Amino acid sequence: MTTADSHTGRRLTARGAKTRARIVAAAADLMYVKGVGDTTLDDVLAASGVSKSQLYHHFDGKEPLVRAVIDHVGERVIQRERDALGHVSTIPGLRRWRDALVQSNALRHGAYGCALGTLASEVSDQDELARQALSQLFSEWQELLAGVLRRLQDKGTLPAEAPIDQLATGLMAALQGGYMLAQTARDVTPMATSIDMALAYIESLSAG
Amino acid sequence: MTTHFAEVLARESASLSGVTDRAKLASWRRRVVKELMTPQSPYVLALRQSGDVPERADLLDRWCELIAEMLDRLLQSGTAGGSPCSSAQTSRADIDVQKTAVLILAALHGGSTLSQIAQDPWPLNAALDIALAPFAGAEDDSPARTGNE
Repeated sequence: MTTADSHTGRRLTARGAKTRARIVAAAADLMYVKGVGDTTLDDVLAASGVSKSQLYHHFDGKEPLVRAVIDHVGERVIQRERDALGHVSTIPGLRRWRDALVQSNALRHGAYGCALGTLASEVSDQDELARQALSQLFSEWQELLAGVLRRLQDKGTLPAEAPIDQLATGLMAALQGGYMLAQTARDVTPMATSIDMALAYIESLSAG
Repeated sequence: MTTHFAEVLARESASLSGVTDRAKLASWRRRVVKELMTPQSPYVLALRQSGDVPERADLLDRWCELIAEMLDRLLQSGTAGGSPCSSAQTSRADIDVQKTAVLILAALHGGSTLSQIAQDPWPLNAALDIALAPFAGAEDDSPARTGNE
């Protein structure tokens, strides 16, 4: 069985695909914990246990590896968010989504932030292809939030004139900014506060 | 303190203390948006998740306090309440200044990340519109959203 490598378009053997996946998973973990800038290819070699020639067979440098990490992390985050948000159509449902994110971040005292947001703040001004991929992923994520808000609108919870795209963007910014404040403070409280405030604003529109 | 942290704090301290009404709030907001949309500005560098964590934590704490003090001043001078074009009826008593300051800082932080990846100031402005909503008159008056969708 062969799999196409999404970046080089090369066909990979099953074993090649497995090695590539191991490299990407190790790099994703390292970049999540240490940041992209502080992760070297030597770190990735050590963590993945592959040889130097194997690594360079799949990635001819750090940039293509970072792009593969963005694809990998993006797929996981979008899948998680689709499962969490895909059928939400009430404000309490939106609060349960918020609780799950805050709870899971609290386990690590907020130390590492959002896997996708961390990549966004580090690489968007360095690599145009990476920026485009991140922009696409965040649009997809935001569209899931906009979908929830539109369902709230359809049920009459939100008024017809509520600016859905703006609210979805504001909620996403509150979430991402909250992750970043929590990461700096090593405390999940500011993340909980910022999402709660954005949700309270959305709810205030429904009461009006 | 690292130069860009000190510079942001000095500039924010000076400009936030001068915000006494809606018009000045709107011009503070325009200036911060401009800084955050300028590559490698001290603001962009200061919000990056790298460098000294305790120093960044200190900057964010003090910035948050400055924003909260400004909001307090605006509330006392009566610069709050639902904006005429919004159905959100927010009364002065409902506004938690500390929590609103956290949302404003989160909106600056998260909004600028979204704007940088979209190469469009629209997300940052959308986030600030919501964060500043209880303080009417702070709406973005920059040109309508550009393409990039």
